[in-house]
Amino acid sequence: MNIFSRKKYVTLPKSTRGDGPQVPDGMWEKCTKCKKVVYGKQLGTHKICPLCGAHQRISAPQYISIVADEGSVTEFNCDLTPQNPIGFPKYEEKIAKLGETLNVKEAVVTVSAKINGIDTYICAMDNRFIMGSMGSVVGEKITQGFEYATKNRLPMVVFTASGGARMQEGIVSLMQMAKVSAAVKRHSDAGLLYITVLTDPTTGGVTASYAMLGDIILAEPGALVGFAGRRVIEQTIKQRLPEDFQSAEFVQDHGFIDKIVPRDRLRETLGTILKLHSTELFLSDAPSQNVDYYKGKADLEPFKAVEISRKVNRPTGRDVINYLTTDFLEFHGDRNFRDDGAIVGGIGFLDGLPVTIIATQKGRNIDENLLCNFGQPHPEGYRKALRLMKQAEKFGRPILTLVNTSGAYPAQGAEERGQGEAIAQNLLYMSGFKVPIIAVIVGEGGSGGALALAVSDRVFMFEYSMYSILSPEGFASILWKDGKRAKEAAAVMKLRPTDLLELGIIEGIIPEVADGFCNDIAYSLDYLKNLVLAEFAQIAALPTDEMLEARYERYRKFGRY
Amino acid sequence: MFNKILIANRGEIAVRVIRAAKEMGISTVAIYSKADKDALHVQMADQAVCVGESPSSESYLNMQNIISAAVLTKAEAIHPGFGFLSENTTFAQMCEDCNIKFIGPGSAAIDAMGNKANARDVMKAAGVPVIPGTDGTVDTAEDALKFANEVGYPVLLKASAGGGGKGIRLCANDDELRKNYDAAKSEALRAFSDDDIYMEKAIIGARHIEVQVIGDEYGNIIHLGERECSMQIRNQKVVEEAPSVALSQELRKAFGEAAIKAAKAVDYKNAGTLEFLLDANGKDFYFMEMNTRIQVEHPITEMVTGFDLVKEQISVAAGNKLSKTQEEITFSGHAIECRINASTTGLINYMFLPAGGLGIRVDSGIYAGYVMPPYYDSMVAKVISHGKNREEAIAKMKRALDELVIDGIITNIDTHGIILENEDFLNGTYHTKTLEKLLGLI
Repeated sequence: MNIFSRKKYVTLPKSTRGDGPQVPDGMWEKCTKCKKVVYGKQLGTHKICPLCGAHQRISAPQYISIVADEGSVTEFNCDLTPQNPIGFPKYEEKIAKLGETLNVKEAVVTVSAKINGIDTYICAMDNRFIMGSMGSVVGEKITQGFEYATKNRLPMVVFTASGGARMQEGIVSLMQMAKVSAAVKRHSDAGLLYITVLTDPTTGGVTASYAMLGDIILAEPGALVGFAGRRVIEQTIKQRLPEDFQSAEFVQDHGFIDKIVPRDRLRETLGTILKLHSTELFLSDAPSQNVDYYKGKADLEPFKAVEISRKVNRPTGRDVINYLTTDFLEFHGDRNFRDDGAIVGGIGFLDGLPVTIIATQKGRNIDENLLCNFGQPHPEGYRKALRLMKQAEKFGRPILTLVNTSGAYPAQGAEERGQGEAIAQNLLYMSGFKVPIIAVIVGEGGSGGALALAVSDRVFMFEYSMYSILSPEGFASILWKDGKRAKEAAAVMKLRPTDLLELGIIEGIIPEVADGFCNDIAYSLDYLKNLVLAEFAQIAALPTDEMLEARYERYRKFGRY
Repeated sequence: MFNKILIANRGEIAVRVIRAAKEMGISTVAIYSKADKDALHVQMADQAVCVGESPSSESYLNMQNIISAAVLTKAEAIHPGFGFLSENTTFAQMCEDCNIKFIGPGSAAIDAMGNKANARDVMKAAGVPVIPGTDGTVDTAEDALKFANEVGYPVLLKASAGGGGKGIRLCANDDELRKNYDAAKSEALRAFSDDDIYMEKAIIGARHIEVQVIGDEYGNIIHLGERECSMQIRNQKVVEEAPSVALSQELRKAFGEAAIKAAKAVDYKNAGTLEFLLDANGKDFYFMEMNTRIQVEHPITEMVTGFDLVKEQISVAAGNKLSKTQEEITFSGHAIECRINASTTGLINYMFLPAGGLGIRVDSGIYAGYVMPPYYDSMVAKVISHGKNREEAIAKMKRALDELVIDGIITNIDTHGIILENEDFLNGTYHTKTLEKLLGLI
């Protein structure tokens, strides 16, 4: 319809330059994921799409400027260029041309810098330079970086972005994987911290070497992380792979990434990790004398302890961690099979003291419980715990475990992956870790699944918790073929904290208000925090061999015959 | 002055702006969605650019396409109308980047007033009355009682983490407050995992009265009197009038002064509206929020002041000084606006607008033969009457609505008939809940 009978057309002026309206360069950018055009200012310095959250690829110098303290950066080997080891046609020209057009001369930039005021060595790969591929120069610069960091006792942060080995350098490129890995080993053996940040893409030979060797492996959301390419795999197995295959989230679920960190939180997260690893562990002050432990109430009806310990609103492992610590960083995965939601582990400050904390996690509703499997760990959960505890030992950090589980998960998969073996390994290693360990039974302490986190220098129990060979229902069912006689069983099992104190299984009891510490979390957890700090100081004051001897004796003594 | 402006809107407000620009000798560019290719604003403008698919998220809210349309047609300024992008800081910022004048207050002022808590703080600091509230949380029942007795009952207990009406309790006296305090806290804890609560004085039976302001780029700000907008259904205004019968000359002066103070506090430029609540006691009033754009009901202010707000918006945006000083603004007679909303869409078979006679104005974006698309706002017309006094304005409005025919869609013309006969309306004793009660909605 044309009610005013007018000619309707748009006459475009010949040029849009001049004083009139014009779009300045760089005002619009296109998101590589959602393909939508976005306002450049909304992408910001972190280049995160405001519409879909996708992290756009950025260069090595950009990563360094995002995380490093201003004015603290010194670059190494910035002019190092490769020779042509296999005589690949036009390789030198390609390198020279890229060096001219980009603000980097090779696919990695190596610098010393401060992050959060802490001296660090940073290697950042650059995906614009032959897809960040790893040739002689990449291998050499990173190796020299590790050697420098080892010599100067610096933590190492590597941002990976690579398609893998550099084809143009043939087998020489392959050897860089071994060369860098060997340098990582020496750095690690010197007790130093290595953090990798996997960015999009991290694949092939880089994944199969230094990308996966970090003490702590971080990744950006959505980053492609894998060894063999999707297409190669699909063609080989003749099957379609899932949509999220080889995404950082997928790889984290499968146990290989500690934490996914959005780019705008990288600086803060790296800063916290470095601070946690550079803080003085134990002050040389003489530890306080023996704490007068709370002994509990002997008239507690045994089944009441069972009931309250199982209450749905009992604070969960994560709740307790959040109350006790500041700057807690949760780390995922067993670096083997899967991340087990039934175990929460990570590091944080306990009143200024860096500690590794491992807790079993129960859910409050069905959604949470599906994620944490009702607090029943799989073998990969115990293996995650062991991995984090080994790391604590490497950095000399004390370990606190918080146990609230009805037991290890009885299932086919758990057996296939060696539930028994996983628990056994924990008992073995925990008896020998050269750092103080304190275990706290917060709710249910169910059998081997609980003991797998409770071999320690001290064991404490909450006033309304239980710790037993198995559940009272199971006990009744085995002995009397009737699981309903649980209450009766509880009465004879000696599972109350006061009973266990008498048996010497535990050192003390954490007081709770009537009906459990869900009613006054501060009352119990302030007590626990002060107790744990005092005990850690006391244990740490012992020479290591005496500490281990005492721990050996603590378990050696059990048995009546 | 601008040679060409783009109107980033549709419907009657786009038509209104195009008309003003035409009279000022400025070329106009309309934008439209695929569903709007036959719309009146598209036909009236000198040029029209399609900016996207029918849903407004892909067209009238598509900032990139709208900016491109302005750049391609060399429009020097964009009038955003109301709704859509009119209060979008990012869009105002984009215009600034591209050397396009955004006809409005600029991104900084939109930002300052957009966040409600922030706006409240700014107004409080400027000495503009805000609804009395505890600035932080209330941690004991004693503190709650103390606050309530300071500001007077009734009071509201609100969860700090709340929203959507959850966690709000009304208390009329000490006993109720004591009883509700713990309950509100535990309800907040259950609903939001956070038992922090704060308190506010409850304003019951309040009137919604707003003041129109406009400023130029040189720090001059004037107000154009108030509008009474209490005839509402669930916060949607239905009938507005100017002046308000609830204000004495003295109170009117206080409203005007508060509005100027508020606008100056954010260095306000262009047209804006300060919304206030007038307590049932008829004397206390509180700042509610500021709308940083032209408003639907602006014509009633134009009718009683003879001041063309849209032309003045364009003029001050082009860098001219305000055409009048505060002293030169005079008020005459009474104006009423009835918003005609449609509850169905489709073909307008036939339409008769009540033109003719002094003091009747109809702003509309539809015409006979037009097919109303289902994607946008339901307002199809605004009927405005102006008389030498309120009685005459009401009489003219009744006459106009009696003649108004929009055939083919269902509208709320009959509701206006009920309002215009209502005793509370005729006496001027209505408040923000009157209409909902009248229609049996509460």
